[in-house]
Amino acid sequence: MSPFHFDGLVWHWPIAIYLFLAGVSAGAITFAILLKHFKLGNNAYKSGFIQAACLIAPLSVFAGLGILVLDLTKPFDFWKILVFYNGTSVMSVGVAVLMIYQLILFAWLICVFKEPVLNWCHGRWPLVNRLLSALAKHEPSITGFLTILALSLGAYTGFLLSALTTYPMLNNPVLPLLFLISGLSSGAAGTLLGGVLLKGNPDGKEVHFIHNIEIPIILVELVLLFTFFIGLIISGGQSKIAALTAIGEGFWGWVFWGGIIIVGLSLPLAFNLFMKASSKRKFSYVAITASCSLIGVFLLRNFILYTGQMTVA
Amino acid sequence: MKNSRRLFLKSACAVVVAASGYTIAKSSTESVEIDGKKYALVHDETKCIGCDACSIACREVNQVPEGVSRLKIEREGPYGEYPDQYFRFTRKSCQQCEDTPCVKVCPTGAAYKDPETGIVSVDSWKCVGCQYCIAACPYQVRFINPVTHAADKCDFCKETRLKEGKQPACVSACPTQALTFGDLKDPESNIVKVLKSAPNYRSKTELGTRPKVFRIASREGEVTL
Repeated sequence: MSPFHFDGLVWHWPIAIYLFLAGVSAGAITFAILLKHFKLGNNAYKSGFIQAACLIAPLSVFAGLGILVLDLTKPFDFWKILVFYNGTSVMSVGVAVLMIYQLILFAWLICVFKEPVLNWCHGRWPLVNRLLSALAKHEPSITGFLTILALSLGAYTGFLLSALTTYPMLNNPVLPLLFLISGLSSGAAGTLLGGVLLKGNPDGKEVHFIHNIEIPIILVELVLLFTFFIGLIISGGQSKIAALTAIGEGFWGWVFWGGIIIVGLSLPLAFNLFMKASSKRKFSYVAITASCSLIGVFLLRNFILYTGQMTVA
Repeated sequence: MKNSRRLFLKSACAVVVAASGYTIAKSSTESVEIDGKKYALVHDETKCIGCDACSIACREVNQVPEGVSRLKIEREGPYGEYPDQYFRFTRKSCQQCEDTPCVKVCPTGAAYKDPETGIVSVDSWKCVGCQYCIAACPYQVRFINPVTHAADKCDFCKETRLKEGKQPACVSACPTQALTFGDLKDPESNIVKVLKSAPNYRSKTELGTRPKVFRIASREGEVTL
């Protein structure tokens, strides 16, 4: 069985990239919300990390949706997904979540960057001033909705695959949680990497805050991966075959053990613990740790998508 | 302020979870009640000789392009020693499930079950080609039609032969009468008689899809564990 071409393969790598980007967007904006709410307050917009997260979140969700549309066999008919609706389809529900998410995302971004935007406008357009103030008045509600929508988006990509009863490995209740948690960790990594690239202080309070959350997230992700595969093996039958095909020998087995477990989870965990011990964080530490996490989550999306389709119920 | 925000988050989460849970639960307990016919097919594997007349007729009548197919006869074997050799033939085509995974996942409703006939069909205009249905079908019989770019599969010749009041192309073409087509709701129909006279099975019933393609098992083949 070739790792990228086999019978039963329906969704290819573009879908894996979409799943990855949706997770990054949801994760990045979650961490932006947490940073603003707990650490930075109204001056949040000055932080390179907030700026990075606020760039990453919309850009990655747009890029992901673009890839998704291009991957349709009838890309020009994509609007039919927005017009017709099927309540039993996880994809339909997800499309609705994605649309509302983008709307609220922009409302929140405007609230965060209200001050610089108003300064830039110089009070030239009173309408802008009034609009921004009206939006900012509702910032607590917008933040609340955005939190729920971001978490829903993170879990949705998992539900999208777990709804497929065809593939016993994907038809797994742990998958949405695994995708949510790994999506959060990729968002954290994206925020850190983008933040230090935008001249954020690699030893700043933002980095300390995110790293403190990152350690438990990595541990939870490990537990979820363990639960995911043990659950499949204990179920027996085709589920067991699917699990052992995925994490056994061969190309995808290497991706799992080498790429996901070692590079994606163990190394960032080790670096994080080391940075906690060392007093000062450097640019290279933060950048390398974040890159490892991003690579790990990207590989995880591809791994789950491809190996999931290898075994049919 | 802080408490009200927390309360808002909690209640909003609860509403979202309850609403989506209700939709999913409702959809899985509710089965579409169909007043019309319930068409089904029997493939008698003991009569099938693997001549492919059915799949050729299907391609011809439904204008199925090269490279894809709505109907395939899969051959296993040969079993036994020369000269007592034999093959086993199984039909691979849409199973016309009663509980349809493809219809459930389709985001636009392009995959639907026809209320008149119970036949699972595709509205090729509505289909955007997301391929969710292809992934959702446990029988792996759906494909993207290279001409229309929409999902496609067997529809018991609903748009061709059945419209003219005839039997599906495969049924008419079969030289050994291995295929029987008819309405399960009609107790006098041939298909009900065939199903009552011979023990039959269906594929992957453990998935709860309730397929409407019945099979009478070939006596040939291996006993495997």
